[in-house]
Amino acid sequence: MATRSSAPVVIGALVVLVLAVAPMGLSPFLTQFLINLFMLAALAESWNIIGGFTGYASFGNVAFFGIGAYTTGVLLSVLEWPFALALPLSGLVAMAFAALVGMPILRLKGHYFAIATLGVAETMREIVYNLKITGGGTGLTMPITKNPLPFFYLMLGILLAATVVNWWLSASRFGYGLVAIREDEDAAMAMGINAALYKTAAFALSGAFAGLVGGVFAYWITFIDPEGVFKVITTIQMIIMAVFGGMGTVVGPLLGALVLASVSELLSTHLVSLAELFNGIIVILVVLFMPKGLADAIRKREFSLRQLARNLREYRV
Amino acid sequence: MALVEARGVTKRFGGLAAVSEVSFDLQDGEILGLIGPNGSGKTTLVNVVTGALPYTAGEVRFRGDSIRGRPPYEIGRMGVSRTFQIVKPFRNLTVIQNVMVGALFGARGGAATLSEARRRAEEVLDFVSLSHRAEMAADGLNVPERKRMELARALAMRPTVLLLDEVMAGLNPAEIDAAVALIKRIRDRGTTLIVIEHVMKAIRDLSDRIMVLFHGEKLTEGPPAEVLSNPDVVSAYLGRRYAERAGA
Amino acid sequence: MLALQVLVNGILLGGLYGLMALGMSLIWGVMNIVNIAHGALIMLGAYVTFWLFTLWGWDPFLSLPATIALLFVYGYCLQRFLLNLIVRAQLFLTLLITFGVEVVMVNLVRIFWSSDLRQVTPSYAGANFGVGGLTVPYVRLWVFGTTVALSVLFLLILEKTRLGRAIRATSEELRAARLTGIPVAHIYAVTFGLGAALAGAAGGLWGMLFPITPVMGGGLTLKSFVVAVLGGLGTMMGAIVGGLVLGLAESFTATYLGPTWPNAISFGLLVLILIVRPTGIVGRKG
Repeated sequence: MATRSSAPVVIGALVVLVLAVAPMGLSPFLTQFLINLFMLAALAESWNIIGGFTGYASFGNVAFFGIGAYTTGVLLSVLEWPFALALPLSGLVAMAFAALVGMPILRLKGHYFAIATLGVAETMREIVYNLKITGGGTGLTMPITKNPLPFFYLMLGILLAATVVNWWLSASRFGYGLVAIREDEDAAMAMGINAALYKTAAFALSGAFAGLVGGVFAYWITFIDPEGVFKVITTIQMIIMAVFGGMGTVVGPLLGALVLASVSELLSTHLVSLAELFNGIIVILVVLFMPKGLADAIRKREFSLRQLARNLREYRV
Repeated sequence: MALVEARGVTKRFGGLAAVSEVSFDLQDGEILGLIGPNGSGKTTLVNVVTGALPYTAGEVRFRGDSIRGRPPYEIGRMGVSRTFQIVKPFRNLTVIQNVMVGALFGARGGAATLSEARRRAEEVLDFVSLSHRAEMAADGLNVPERKRMELARALAMRPTVLLLDEVMAGLNPAEIDAAVALIKRIRDRGTTLIVIEHVMKAIRDLSDRIMVLFHGEKLTEGPPAEVLSNPDVVSAYLGRRYAERAGA
Repeated sequence: MLALQVLVNGILLGGLYGLMALGMSLIWGVMNIVNIAHGALIMLGAYVTFWLFTLWGWDPFLSLPATIALLFVYGYCLQRFLLNLIVRAQLFLTLLITFGVEVVMVNLVRIFWSSDLRQVTPSYAGANFGVGGLTVPYVRLWVFGTTVALSVLFLLILEKTRLGRAIRATSEELRAARLTGIPVAHIYAVTFGLGAALAGAAGGLWGMLFPITPVMGGGLTLKSFVVAVLGGLGTMMGAIVGGLVLGLAESFTATYLGPTWPNAISFGLLVLILIVRPTGIVGRKG
């Protein structure tokens, strides 16, 4: 949990200022890269709420992302509503869905919960694929906007909001409740915490942000289809970024996204397969060598090879 | 009206009654000792009274209000706290953060702000003599310290009734004496207690009254001296032949 | 008539699903590892069978032992040199790492063998036989027969051999197993190898019925999970029962709702079963 210190806040404010002014002078390529980075970081921060703080590792958060994307998609291309209305609705629909689905599913533990969430994501993709209003397999096309700048600011804004929420969690009564649930749910309940309510609220919050990100994504990318928007690899990316940076911390997911997205961009050229392959290898390496994440290593100031070797041996047979 | 009233409380698991027709009253300000051989239903009774398990039959009332159907967190907020036989620390939090959870969510909803909770936690840690460990990670504590933290967490909830489930298991004689003194201080501050123990010396010293469970049923209850020399109680623990041989 | 045909199709398919789930159930039951890469192992088996058929003309049924052996070795190494390192980690991390393995495997296959659709089409591929108004493709029948044979063989190994006993001992009581001298790291590796071998065999058989692509595994992992949970985790009989249930469910929805619905139904069934009766049809409560 957070110990109060003004340093991160100051640094954060500076970074935000720089980022806000930057697009005036950024290349289109860099703008695209940053929008993608903000998106992944926001997703990682949103996952952190349910996975990192509450300890319920959901493997299906892409469902909320996809629902948000499709809410915007349907509202924009089929009903022709303005984006200013569609976006908040995307967040709300995703949030409501998360709350609804969360109520029965959060009663499951461990593997069952993880697979159930995976099942939810896959089911959503199949349902969307089969419905007429979502355009089925053909997908939906949004009206085109030439200027990427609004998306830059929108994604950044959502990322900031998600990070602020994480920061609030780290230093609030609600957050303490979530962490207690993560550490020992029975003890937490005996101590007066309404675990069912808190878990569902965390899940809903997580879904809301993912839905907002999805909504912006849909408009930005202008074309969505079930395969593109309900990808399992998206969930894996948000999880591994949160884990690599340090799940349960405030800046961990941000850091993780920054490092992993940058390296991924550097290594992959035009082959989709290479980028995904890299993701897979990173997942394996992170779980083996740095399961506690960067934030933990930074806190303990342990960057030696010996520490890596120790991590490797920690969970073996 | 007694603080806690239990009438004919029964808890079945399938065909087996872990607790059968147990009735008792808990008076305000007393320490009720709860003893019985392993498997006699003591922890199950605690689970029932704290809402961790629903009871099959009977009635449990706290200050006149039935607790039937209430989830554990509601009962915690009503003012009933407990410790666990096998301690359940929040491993990745510091000791004071552990206690703060109790302060934040305890009786009547707990502290309103984090700083208020922290203040309460500091006070409780001081009371149980654990202040020097406040900023240490919870999984770095030794056994007696873990027991005290478990106790501190429950105390931070400001309970009216506190159920202690074998807090002295694993403690050496000096630590047991310290625990007994601490529990007495808790009672002196106004908390009513039910104490489950196997350490007879401690139970005799602490309790105003003792209740004995055997195979899920209440065997007897009464003042410590009387109960602990009761031949039925001795034979329940040690077997009938030993009781006869000892001439109890 | 139609309903009977659908029923038969469902049973034939269900046998294959059962075989797939056996491997996953075994690994889960013994090591508490839910192998997300399970589908990728099935995929690998399908490709091995395909290449043996395409490059050297080996009949897909007769080349199964080779596929099985190869996948066993692969699975053994995967467990021994990678997964054994994280066996004691929290559930979530083991899930994550098998995800990573899946992504790596699928993408390596994509890179080296391309995403083109492959098919195994031996000379007898299209032949059917008719019985009382039903049309049964020979291949499907033989696939079913093979799945039954392999399942029985596997169950025999688990019940009757020393190895099987060691595996069961390790899964039930790890510390005691260690104390009696069972080499746990090796047993785990053998178990995973067996699970991979079963998956590979299922893949080889699958490849005779359906197109082979690098991404075919994802849905199959989930379906194996559905079957394992439907039947009841850790019970091998459960995998078989669950397989039949899923096969029938898919066959009926495909015919009466439309060909794009079976997946939605299976995944929806998964979520439903987890909520309503997580111990499965055969498994015991609690």
